[in-house]
Amino acid sequence: MANTRIEPGVPITLQELYPSSQFYKEAVSLRVTGMLSGYSVETAIGVIEDGGKSLKINTQNLRDISFRVGSIYQFIGELHIEPNNEARTGRNVDGIDMNLYRKTVELLRQFLKEEGNSNMVE
Amino acid sequence: MDRSLQNTHAKLVARDIQRLTQSPTESNSFSLLGGACVSRVETVGTIISRDLTPKFLKFGVDDGTGCVTCVLWLNQLTSSYFSRWHPDTILLLASAARKQAAEIRIGSVARVRGRVGSYRGVMQITATVVVVERDPNAEILHWLECLRLGQSCYRILS
Repeated sequence: MANTRIEPGVPITLQELYPSSQFYKEAVSLRVTGMLSGYSVETAIGVIEDGGKSLKINTQNLRDISFRVGSIYQFIGELHIEPNNEARTGRNVDGIDMNLYRKTVELLRQFLKEEGNSNMVE
Repeated sequence: MDRSLQNTHAKLVARDIQRLTQSPTESNSFSLLGGACVSRVETVGTIISRDLTPKFLKFGVDDGTGCVTCVLWLNQLTSSYFSRWHPDTILLLASAARKQAAEIRIGSVARVRGRVGSYRGVMQITATVVVVERDPNAEILHWLECLRLGQSCYRILS
């Protein structure tokens, strides 16, 4: 396996994906969660929705995962402005507490931001 | 030097695992921002890569803050390291390791516990236990535990 650095999929909400957002960059690695509102077996393109926003996901690289409309899924992959975002991993997360998830992601960001400003002690 | 966390698995996010620095006096101890020393860590994240060799399984864990390389050794039956152990124990360890390796699949979320160490300048975990977490809220709980412990426990300077 190559030792190239793999960027983590930064967890975001679909509401945070808009053109002027800090996360709206070509090929940025993201982790997105939403309810599967549609899926095409022919194209392997799925659409997830959360909070009134939707996002297309290219699932052609995913294995061992079955897609069921109405279930909640979480994907890690790279954002592509055109044509479709490509998922590297995906999993069914039915039962996830989305409110808790959103709040925790926000807390995590604050934690990382605060700790990122700390100086390393030799 | 605060050694109170030496024998516990510190719950850390991947970014903090990567920022651990080696103790100047003890090669197997690492500290975060000059705080308490740890040698064992626990992380929870999505398996994003998997590389199986005859001797070990190397896999990557992504928890949203970073990616950590983990190694699960599978050579208990042939390694001289275990030559003095009781054969039944070696068989148990080998069986457990293989079962855990079979469960590690790309896309799954796993809880990894093990010794932290540096390999070619990059921190990695030599896994002792890998458990696939099927509860979708398990990762959220781990994040919250990392935040709480990070603020109340691990950042306390010695």
